[in-house]
Amino acid sequence: MSTPIQVYEPFKAGLPKLGKYWKSLWSRRVFISEFSKSELREQHFDSVFGQLWLVINPLLLSGVYFILIVIIRGGSDGTRYVHLTATLFLFYLISNSLTGGVKSITAGQRLILNTAFPRVMLPISAVIIAVFKFVPTIFVFLIIKVVVGSEFKVEMLWAIPILLITILLALGLAITISCINVYFRDIASFLPYLTRTLLYLSPVLYEASELDPKLRVLEVVNPLFPILDSWSSALVHGQMPEISNMLQGLAWAVGIFLIGTYFFLSREREFAVRL
Amino acid sequence: MSSLSAFSQHKTHEIAVSVRNLGLTYTTAIDKRPTLKARAKALGRGSKQTRVVRALDDVNLDVNYGQVLGVIGTNGAGKSTLMRCIAGILPPSQGRIEVNGSVSTLLALGVGFNPSMSGRDNVYLGGLAAGMTREEITGHFDEIAEFSELGDAIDAPMRTYSSGMFARLAFSVAATVRPDILIIDEALSTGDAKFKEKSLNRIKELRSDDRALILVSHAMKTLRETCNDIAWLHKGKIVQRGEPNQVIDAYQKFLDLGKSAAIDEDV
Repeated sequence: MSTPIQVYEPFKAGLPKLGKYWKSLWSRRVFISEFSKSELREQHFDSVFGQLWLVINPLLLSGVYFILIVIIRGGSDGTRYVHLTATLFLFYLISNSLTGGVKSITAGQRLILNTAFPRVMLPISAVIIAVFKFVPTIFVFLIIKVVVGSEFKVEMLWAIPILLITILLALGLAITISCINVYFRDIASFLPYLTRTLLYLSPVLYEASELDPKLRVLEVVNPLFPILDSWSSALVHGQMPEISNMLQGLAWAVGIFLIGTYFFLSREREFAVRL
Repeated sequence: MSSLSAFSQHKTHEIAVSVRNLGLTYTTAIDKRPTLKARAKALGRGSKQTRVVRALDDVNLDVNYGQVLGVIGTNGAGKSTLMRCIAGILPPSQGRIEVNGSVSTLLALGVGFNPSMSGRDNVYLGGLAAGMTREEITGHFDEIAEFSELGDAIDAPMRTYSSGMFARLAFSVAATVRPDILIIDEALSTGDAKFKEKSLNRIKELRSDDRALILVSHAMKTLRETCNDIAWLHKGKIVQRGEPNQVIDAYQKFLDLGKSAAIDEDV
């Protein structure tokens, strides 16, 4: 059997060979999963109280925001709380991917300087961790839905494709921001403001249908808007989401993923020098 | 980024690594951390303040299978940079590197280790980071545990380990990988005298006709014993290459003299 000959030459801007890159990434899938697990364990999510925290934390968050809504609007109802929890939990999947992804490359310095591997593994692992943290909140949401007495319908299954679109978007965002952070290390400090702004621009504390028509432009410029709106239609109202909304969300997710990945892959060979 | 599980036979004297006219320049920014703020501030100032470092300059190097090449040189000579280029971690600025076979690097100990996990879990994590499969690690686990001499401590979290224990486990994992080309960068100086000897013996075991070893070290005695070829690197250039005793003698003479006119000339 002949062994492959690796050739290293000065690289020109552009993508590495994608087939080879994918093969190399795929051969490391076990490492990616072990690496993500070890990160989770470092954050103590392997213990009983650590996992409990994964449930308590989103509950407390939704509680705090519900108080805010009640005070500002002077009253509220169960459906609003169900909407708030559903969208907030999904929003935190994106937000956790961003906060985990932003430092994934710069924190992986030791690994990057001493081993050759597809660097995109690091932001991917950040998204895996965010998904892992998201899973328990699904159960919390379902319990809340039962307690409030909200109806369960077959249309709720539309949440599955929406979740897949969200994960693709999260992946694209994590890959993009991890790459930007190599060049501008202070992006990580701006991130909390960015996520907070995104939260207020997205239909989480309000429903999309209540939005002032003059502010409709938010729908067009915010990638999360169509996704969270569809998510709420399916899970909270048990309706089939508008196809146009889902397509818009998918277009954002695919677009950001492709642009971010192109940006990342064409630059990743330089990361070792930049760290 | 090659798979280590692909076994292949290489004939002795077949070329393993070929480095041609390799040059590498770093541009280091004067500001330690690149930030958006700093970039915005620099906008008015015109050009960015940078310093260009020539880490490698027109390096030519062939390593054949069956060869054990020692790389020597003072601090900052470019030894580690050269190793990283061969491993495919740093992209060259000029020239071309061809690597014929699977490469495993032992550039730093315990890469991929997570201190909050047990030694056992880290054997898997470190092994996977080095490119082994889970099955390969399971197959070698007892061997690794025994070699590291950790005993029951293997199930304790690694943050409770002494630095010697950490290094011992890290070396044991790394020495289990059986690549075609193994690059070891100053990883031999770990643990106490007894373990040092043990790890040196392991390196000697790894010498075989169908493998190429590249050792970077400052331990001249070890290099004289282990290597059959030495390359001396200075300021990013190869000064001398050849028979170990000859090159090491010349290098030590250079160190004693402090300066040698021919080498230090900046052209």
